[in-house]
Amino acid sequence: MDFLKSMGIAASGLRAQAGRMRVISENIANADSTASAVGGDPYRRKIPTFTSEVDRALDARVLKMGRVSQDQSNFKSKYDPSHPAADANGNVKFPNVNSLVEMTDLKEAQRSYEANLNIVTATRRMIQRTLDILRA
Amino acid sequence: MAISDIPGLSALRTSMQWHQQRQRLLAENVSNADTPNYQARDLVRPTGAALVAGTKPGLTLARTNAGHITLAGGDNTNFALERKSSSETRPTGNAVSLDDEMLKVAQNQMDYQAATSLYTRSLGLLKTAMGKR
Repeated sequence: MDFLKSMGIAASGLRAQAGRMRVISENIANADSTASAVGGDPYRRKIPTFTSEVDRALDARVLKMGRVSQDQSNFKSKYDPSHPAADANGNVKFPNVNSLVEMTDLKEAQRSYEANLNIVTATRRMIQRTLDILRA
Repeated sequence: MAISDIPGLSALRTSMQWHQQRQRLLAENVSNADTPNYQARDLVRPTGAALVAGTKPGLTLARTNAGHITLAGGDNTNFALERKSSSETRPTGNAVSLDDEMLKVAQNQMDYQAATSLYTRSLGLLKTAMGKR
C-alpha cells in the first residue's frame, strides 16, 4: 500500500536527520576540547553526509546517512602559555568548530525533521479518511 | 457488475490511487530535501477519459472460462511521471523546495479528502436507491 510506503520513506528521513543532529551536537559539545598534552591534536569537526539509496521493499529512493567524514580545515590557534597543551611559543590548538555554522546546520536539520514529521501526520490523516469510507 | 464499473466511482477510485502514489512521491522528495543532486519529482494528474478508464492493472487473473470473475483492478497502477525543472537549484545540486513540497502535500491531502467524501456520498446514494431506510 502506498500510504505505508510514504510513512516508511518519511521515517527514513527522520532517522537520517536525527543522526545528523547527533553529529552536530557532538561538534557543539566538543567546541572547546583541546589536547591534554603538548603536540596533540584537539577535537576535529565531523561532517555528516547524506546519500539516497533505492529501498527494494519500499520501491523508492530513501534517505540514508552516509559516512561521517572529518573536516580537514586548519585548527584555530590561541595564545595561552598556562595551558597544558601549549607549544613552545605559548599557542594552543583549538578545534576547527564554528558554533555559528553548527547552529545553522542544526536549524536546517530541525526544519527537515519537522517536514518529514508533517508528511507522517498528513499521511495518517489520509489513511483515516480511507477508513471513514468503511464506516459510512 | 462490480462497483468500480460505475463511471463516477471508477473515476474517484483512480483519483484516490493517484493521490496515494503522489503522496509517496512527495514523501520521497521531502525526505531527500538535503541529498546532493536530487531532483524533485511529481505526477501528471489524469484527466477526462483516462480518469474514468483508470490505468491498466499490472497483474490480472487468467480467465479460461467466460464465467470466471475478472479481477476488478490491481494495486500497482502507474501514472505518468512529471519531471519539471525546479525554480531553484542549490549549490549541492539539490533541487527540492521544501515549502513547495509542503504546499503540495497539503493540497494532496485536501483533494484526497474531497475524493473520499464524494465516494462516501456516492455509496450513500446507492444505498438510498436500494431502499435504505
